[in-house]
Amino acid sequence: MQLRIDAVTKQYATVTAVNQVSFQIQSGEIFALLGPNGAGKSSIIRMLVGMTKPDAGSISVCYQDQTFHHVPRRLLGYLPEDRGLYGDKSVEKNLLFLAQLHGLGKTEALSRMDHWLEVFELTERRHDDLKQLSKGNQQKVQLIAAVLHKPALVILDEPFSGLDPINQEKVVDFLKQLKQNGMTVILSAHQMAMVEKLADRMVLMAKGEVVLAGTLAEIRQQAQPEVQIQLSSKVPLPADWLRSLEAVTAVEMHQPEQALLTLQRDAEVGPVLQQLLGRIEPEQIAMQKPDLHQLYLNAMSRHQGQTPQEAAA
Amino acid sequence: MISRQSLIVARWEFLRFFKWKQQLISYLLMLAVMGGVFAWVYLTDESRQQYRIAVPGSVVVQNTEQFEFQRPSIDLSQQLQQLRDHQTWHAVLSYQDGSWVLHTGASSKWLPQLEQVLQSYFQLQRAGDFGLTDAQLTELQQPAPIERSFLDDDFKGEDTPEKMIAFAVLILLLIGLSTAFGQILMSITGEKQQRVTEQLYAILTPQQWMDGKVLGHSLSALKAMLTTTLVMLVFFLVVSVLVAGEAMDLSWLNWWVILWLIPFALAGVLLCACFMGAIAASIDDPNTSGKGVVMMVTWLPLLFTYLVIDSPSGWAMTLLSWLPVTSFAVMPVRMSMVEVPWWQLSLSLALLLATVYYMRRLGGRIFLRGMQMYGKEPSWGDIMRWALSRKAD
Repeated sequence: MQLRIDAVTKQYATVTAVNQVSFQIQSGEIFALLGPNGAGKSSIIRMLVGMTKPDAGSISVCYQDQTFHHVPRRLLGYLPEDRGLYGDKSVEKNLLFLAQLHGLGKTEALSRMDHWLEVFELTERRHDDLKQLSKGNQQKVQLIAAVLHKPALVILDEPFSGLDPINQEKVVDFLKQLKQNGMTVILSAHQMAMVEKLADRMVLMAKGEVVLAGTLAEIRQQAQPEVQIQLSSKVPLPADWLRSLEAVTAVEMHQPEQALLTLQRDAEVGPVLQQLLGRIEPEQIAMQKPDLHQLYLNAMSRHQGQTPQEAAA
Repeated sequence: MISRQSLIVARWEFLRFFKWKQQLISYLLMLAVMGGVFAWVYLTDESRQQYRIAVPGSVVVQNTEQFEFQRPSIDLSQQLQQLRDHQTWHAVLSYQDGSWVLHTGASSKWLPQLEQVLQSYFQLQRAGDFGLTDAQLTELQQPAPIERSFLDDDFKGEDTPEKMIAFAVLILLLIGLSTAFGQILMSITGEKQQRVTEQLYAILTPQQWMDGKVLGHSLSALKAMLTTTLVMLVFFLVVSVLVAGEAMDLSWLNWWVILWLIPFALAGVLLCACFMGAIAASIDDPNTSGKGVVMMVTWLPLLFTYLVIDSPSGWAMTLLSWLPVTSFAVMPVRMSMVEVPWWQLSLSLALLLATVYYMRRLGGRIFLRGMQMYGKEPSWGDIMRWALSRKAD
């Protein structure tokens, strides 16, 4: 399966929810859509599912030599952002109903259900009404419902929301398992730490536009081209001397003995380190590698013309 | 064609509201209540008791099965005291200031019957005063017989068994539509409230979803109609065969009429379910929307039928029996009272089925478009535009 989104635009009344967005998703990868609320992630997902159509641009899904303009229902497992199941029916009845709608026979559906309920430690609760389950457990049931029929493509809109850290980790494992089973996964999320562990590729969106796209390494390259060096010593550091270094653009003194140096874009790190070691006897010296959260904030701030702190706020 | 997925949804919807234990208990309760009402009416039937009436010595009225007239020798005040003390008398008749007065403790069901007996007695007395014989008086009391003669050969008569069946079908339709009304509103808006709809959209088309809903709730309506019929039939059999000791006679049933009643009733239920489904699909929150009331429009054909029932050959009933939105209720009543050619029945049914198909498509379209509005409820203008649009979904 290959999924291609080409210059897609979607407008609601006076709001442009998605503006000229393009990206591709390859078979078997985990692809993340990242962005703040209103970035256009759910609008893209709804167009992929076929609920809405693009006003401009195109979506093409290639599967077994056939091309579609949205993901065909038979290939799709979907967890919408706005989600719920029948609270007055048991876990088993809910899952069986959805599985049968997907074309599974009862025996097959029950057998697959056994596996996933075991994975999510919900076997004991299978005969309980859904409304008796906690919100997190209800969400797990919905995740099971999205994959019970072994779809080729799973689209999960905010799969981590409402889950505690332990269950978030379980969902990470669950998604890895889907990937191992050959499924392609598209997910939207705010939880950068989770996405960092999972996603093969991602796009960062803001106000309906793609801000950054690629693998995590590529995003790092795009979002944080400046190298940062964390420096600490037993004695106070010479701040003025550090600022006078040619390759250094900024020095943040956290304490008199600790500093964060930001180097010029494309600066050679080796000569700078040699200069530092010639003058200072460092207790610790390390190249700082920003996490996805920081990259996300940097990208957002750059896109919106704000500082990372303002973007975070 | 109905898809396999629609059938799964229909089964799900039907079973969601089918709690067989509760249903059984409610029907047993219904039977018990009907039995209780019957027993109460039987036990409190005052016409089966005998009442003692004190009359003045001058009144020589003959006793009947219900009333025993006595002329006591005690004076009126003593008679009235006995009446107050609930002794001896159920009523006392006296002549005061030139008119007859009937004294009783309180109003009773048997009083009009007593007055009728006394009126007959006094009329007989007056007839004697005028020199009329009993036979002449009896003749005088008989109303002049006026027979109705209907020149319309197609008219079957005023109180035919077919008309009773058509009336029964109207009542059953009312029961069925009431059942469907509540269930459809709860099911469709409930799904939106529980946020199941978007997930379902990824599995089946809006049309498949709407077809399943309509079918499932139509089945529920038919089940309500069928079980009510069975309960009524059981009650009728118990009363007529076991209580009244009559033989079971169903020869008055006109199977030709019943054969036509069934498809009209089925199509009518489907049409109303499609309409209700379409309206419910346009409701985002039933607590704040005023659209739910519009679903009751489906009861109007039943009301119209009742209003025109006295003129089965009139233009109003003829017109309504052709209009697809009313024909399901009106045509069965019309055909039960006048002869309707088979081609008219077929054409009316075909029009009705075509409207069911259109309404079904409209329901699917409203569901899809309503969902695309993300929580914003479509206006009547939007719905009208979708109804008139020929654009494929």
